[in-house]
Amino acid sequence: MLRFVAWRLAGLVPVLGIVLVATFLATYALPGDPVLVMLSDHSSNVEMANRLRAEYGLDQPLWKQFFNYISGVAVGDFGMSYRFVRIPVVEVLSDGIKISPILALAALAAAASIGIGAGILAAIKRNSGIDTAIILILVAGLSIPNFAFATFFVYIFSIKMGALPVAGWGRIDQAILPVAILAIPSAAYIARLTRTFMLEVLGQDYIRTARAKGLAERVVIARHALRNILVPLLTSMGIIFGGLISGTFVVETIFNIPGLGRLAIDSVFARDYPVAMAIVMLFTAFFVLINLAVDVAYAIIDPRIRQRMGVK
Amino acid sequence: MRVLAKAFAGFLMLAAVATAADAKTLRINVTGDPAMLDPITYSELVAGRVLRNVYEGFTDFTPDGKIVNVLAESWTALPGEHGFRFNLRKNVKFHSGRAFTAKDVKYTLEQLAAPDTKAGIGAGYVARIVGIEDVKGGKTKDLSGVKIVDDHTIEIRFSKPDVLFPIYPIWFMDSGIVADKGADWVRSVSAGTGPFKFKEWRRGTFVEIDANKDYWGNKAKIDAVRFLVIPNGDTALAQYEAGELDVLDVQESTIRRVMRDTSKDKERQVVPRAQSRFLAMNPLVYAPFKDKRVREAISLTINRDGMIRGFYDNAAFQLHGITTPGVAGYFNDLPKPKYDPEAAKKLLAEAGFPGGKGLPPIDISSTAVFKDELTYYANELNRTLGMQVNVNVVERATFIRAMNAGEVAFFPWGWTSGYPDAMYYLEQMWHSKSPYNRGRWFNAKYDALIDEATATVDDAKRFQLYRQAEMVYIEDFGAAPLPMVASIALVKPNVTGARATPFGFDRFVFAEIK
Repeated sequence: MLRFVAWRLAGLVPVLGIVLVATFLATYALPGDPVLVMLSDHSSNVEMANRLRAEYGLDQPLWKQFFNYISGVAVGDFGMSYRFVRIPVVEVLSDGIKISPILALAALAAAASIGIGAGILAAIKRNSGIDTAIILILVAGLSIPNFAFATFFVYIFSIKMGALPVAGWGRIDQAILPVAILAIPSAAYIARLTRTFMLEVLGQDYIRTARAKGLAERVVIARHALRNILVPLLTSMGIIFGGLISGTFVVETIFNIPGLGRLAIDSVFARDYPVAMAIVMLFTAFFVLINLAVDVAYAIIDPRIRQRMGVK
Repeated sequence: MRVLAKAFAGFLMLAAVATAADAKTLRINVTGDPAMLDPITYSELVAGRVLRNVYEGFTDFTPDGKIVNVLAESWTALPGEHGFRFNLRKNVKFHSGRAFTAKDVKYTLEQLAAPDTKAGIGAGYVARIVGIEDVKGGKTKDLSGVKIVDDHTIEIRFSKPDVLFPIYPIWFMDSGIVADKGADWVRSVSAGTGPFKFKEWRRGTFVEIDANKDYWGNKAKIDAVRFLVIPNGDTALAQYEAGELDVLDVQESTIRRVMRDTSKDKERQVVPRAQSRFLAMNPLVYAPFKDKRVREAISLTINRDGMIRGFYDNAAFQLHGITTPGVAGYFNDLPKPKYDPEAAKKLLAEAGFPGGKGLPPIDISSTAVFKDELTYYANELNRTLGMQVNVNVVERATFIRAMNAGEVAFFPWGWTSGYPDAMYYLEQMWHSKSPYNRGRWFNAKYDALIDEATATVDDAKRFQLYRQAEMVYIEDFGAAPLPMVASIALVKPNVTGARATPFGFDRFVFAEIK
């Protein structure tokens, strides 16, 4: 098990390496010289432009810039922000890094509990009015884009009812709408998966056996059926979390949350490449780590996989 | 499950650090974080908005552009020399409690020139002080053109006349701050004399400044101002509507909604921005622009009243020449640009291009903000004059570089004034020596008038020179003036004294929350 985790963590290095090269080259290829953006109207001031170029090492050949960058990253130094005067990238990220993962995890928690609950309910009440209603809501949740939901919810709950704040971060009431908006598509997706898996499992022989033993339906569902659909559900959680991470870009922008998603967008517009690149790396690392956590969770849930990994 | 528990614990922590805005805190939006709240390195709008309430210069200006003395009680020109002697205000204290003296003035000017400080906008304002090159080049730290006479008297000498020096927004800082708080002082305190002092900057969220209880002048009536960082214009408007902002600086994306919403008539303030707009015609890139008749024909083709209604929902104003209202040296009786398509056609034919025949195709370019306008000009010029005009939208930094290099033939643009005197526009935009003369319209008569004005201390005389120069530009169609865009603000009915001006908001000294 430990060997497995260590092996997967080692696999993180080439993944991050490729992402690093790709983002570095992408920022270099983008139109818009960061020094000219910094100077804006004063870009004809050659003296000032040269001074800034030298200060950020942008006057050096590309290979050298890249070498400087990776040797910095290797020791956790992502350089200085272009947008904020004399503030290291690590410090610019320090606030957002406490926000986006919480936002995504809270949305995952909400989506999983609502989605699994609704999916089981729909499967048990298959072909009933409840099932149809749930399916209808799922289709809406999956197909209506989150910014449309956001606008609608803000109008109803914040402007008309005055019940929830429009935007911001720091209080629990400010988190309700963003988490809900972020969770909706994932909840719908999880519910649909749960319903499908559940229907398949409920037709299996061991379920019939369990029922024949005289077990209560509640126990049949919770202990026998649910446990068996958890493995395929978990597999999709890794993917869903990836979707949630990219969803934070939109939700943080709409609700003005100072997380990594909004920071990434602001940084790209301001040509603050060091910050944008660091965020891409962080999100890549999150994604890989969450998938690792999913794999480890398999082992905990499914004894067969645990055995295959050689864990006693 | 543990993951869920952690997420929930995270939420509870968020709730614990929650802070509620004080009832006497004025809340206003800004579009982004400041780059840094440093009076020396400052070079962008957001920092300027905040710092204006925290730092002070020799003078300041009122919402209608009148100059008032602030840290300078008075000044006189040095006889027979280029320069001034300033009498500084006494009994002024910095936020640290130290007294403001001539030493701080000299220190600030030296900081603006020092090679290692990354000075921003302010660096341009000290460029003519004697000895500036030696400080910039690192030869010395002592700025020889600045002489401390006594604690409250200082003389500043220039290598070239610089009659507007007293009104430049150079913000004086406490010379003892580095010794006191270290080189990184700007992250924790402010070193100004202004009516507000720095309290907190939570990056991505807000900047907050507190009223300075020991301010030497009219003290603020509110306890604090909180500048909330809200990049998205629609979010900002929604927050204002939900009562989460007291003052809204309306962003481009929501102007139409705000202008059409009659329920907000009483909360709305509309003032022309101190930004001179023009359609530049670069004769060095596109030869037909050398002919004044071609330039005039293009100007006559633009329906400015129609643009103001159609593009801006009346949140724009006619610009007659170069100078905008609220700026000293502005004359409201200069001739208005005409709209006359028939006369335009005739002029173009006289110039040898009847119906546009013989004119090479041309690109009209600008950044994405001007996209709609570009399409309008291209269509109108094609329909009326038969010119073949292609629309070309370019990324901002790339475009600014190309304009500065004089590579762009035909483009609408704007130039925002840094201080309330027409010289800013007149010299930077169209003097042939200015690096910002992007349209490359050169006129010897215009240059001579401006050169004379830069050496004219007397305001009334100088303004007459401005007027003559502006008339040269208007009559020669140096560029086609375009409507000035308005700054629009919404202010809640329970707030008084918060005023939008051509230069952003007035200092929040008079603001009151009822």
